[in-house]
Amino acid sequence: MTEFLETTVDKFIFRVATDRFYNGEGVWAKEENGRVRIGLSDFVQQRSGDVAFAEIKPIETSLAFGDEVAMIETIKVNIAFTSPVTGIIVEVNPAMAEAPEAINQDPFGEGWLAVIEPIDWAADRTRLLDPQAYFARMKTEAEEEAKKL
Amino acid sequence: MSGNVQNNDTPRVVIVPCSGIGKTYGTVSREAAYDLIEDLRPETAQLVPLSLLVLGDKAARQAVADSPAITIDGCKLACATKMVQESGGTVAQDFAVLDVYRRYRQFKPQGIAELDEGGELLARALAEEAAEVVDQLIAGGQNG
Repeated sequence: MTEFLETTVDKFIFRVATDRFYNGEGVWAKEENGRVRIGLSDFVQQRSGDVAFAEIKPIETSLAFGDEVAMIETIKVNIAFTSPVTGIIVEVNPAMAEAPEAINQDPFGEGWLAVIEPIDWAADRTRLLDPQAYFARMKTEAEEEAKKL
Repeated sequence: MSGNVQNNDTPRVVIVPCSGIGKTYGTVSREAAYDLIEDLRPETAQLVPLSLLVLGDKAARQAVADSPAITIDGCKLACATKMVQESGGTVAQDFAVLDVYRRYRQFKPQGIAELDEGGELLARALAEEAAEVVDQLIAGGQNG
């Protein structure tokens, strides 16, 4: 069962799943039986707003670490996200085509974006933030956002 | 004080849009409501401001209690839908601007105080969908 780090900033509660790694954009990467599932963090989905459309690179796309892997259009912004892993996309969440609001409703679960067959996950992992490091970074960003309100 | 709520014997459908200020989707919901009651179905659609329901305005509450309502929500909080229900009304159809936008991606709305062309077109598309529901409700009421 996934456990979370949690913080409240202003009126918002943000959670960070502790069983995965994160890039600086808030894209999470979770190793599962040799493959890596990716998605967006709770902070990213709350900051971005309700997702209207999500476009994921198709299956069999080869990605290098940092290549664009997904774009979401929300009521506020259009944002592109980069891959936290080098490899080939082997699965895309079918919910993204018809019900991308899953990103908002369950960012660490049903709202996943894609599954990637990694080339060298051990190497990629060293370039990512562990949950505690991402939590600290996310909290700082959230507090800075709150000051703007 | 009964605000802008009209009372007459003509069968009407109540339209309750989001009252969100400062949000593009809230503005789309209100523009759609205005399109509906002023241009598309002025004889059969009646606007009830959400703010009057929040304030407990007697005439507003009576209007939603007496007629089927179409709500237009700007965000997932769905204040219009919840307020109609809490006021004793029946929501015949609830529209969420985000869902409508998913059907009309070519009409990306922008602007807050004043919508851009995409926003105006999205509001019109939403109003036209709502107008069909108004017609169905009126026809159903007359047949029933």
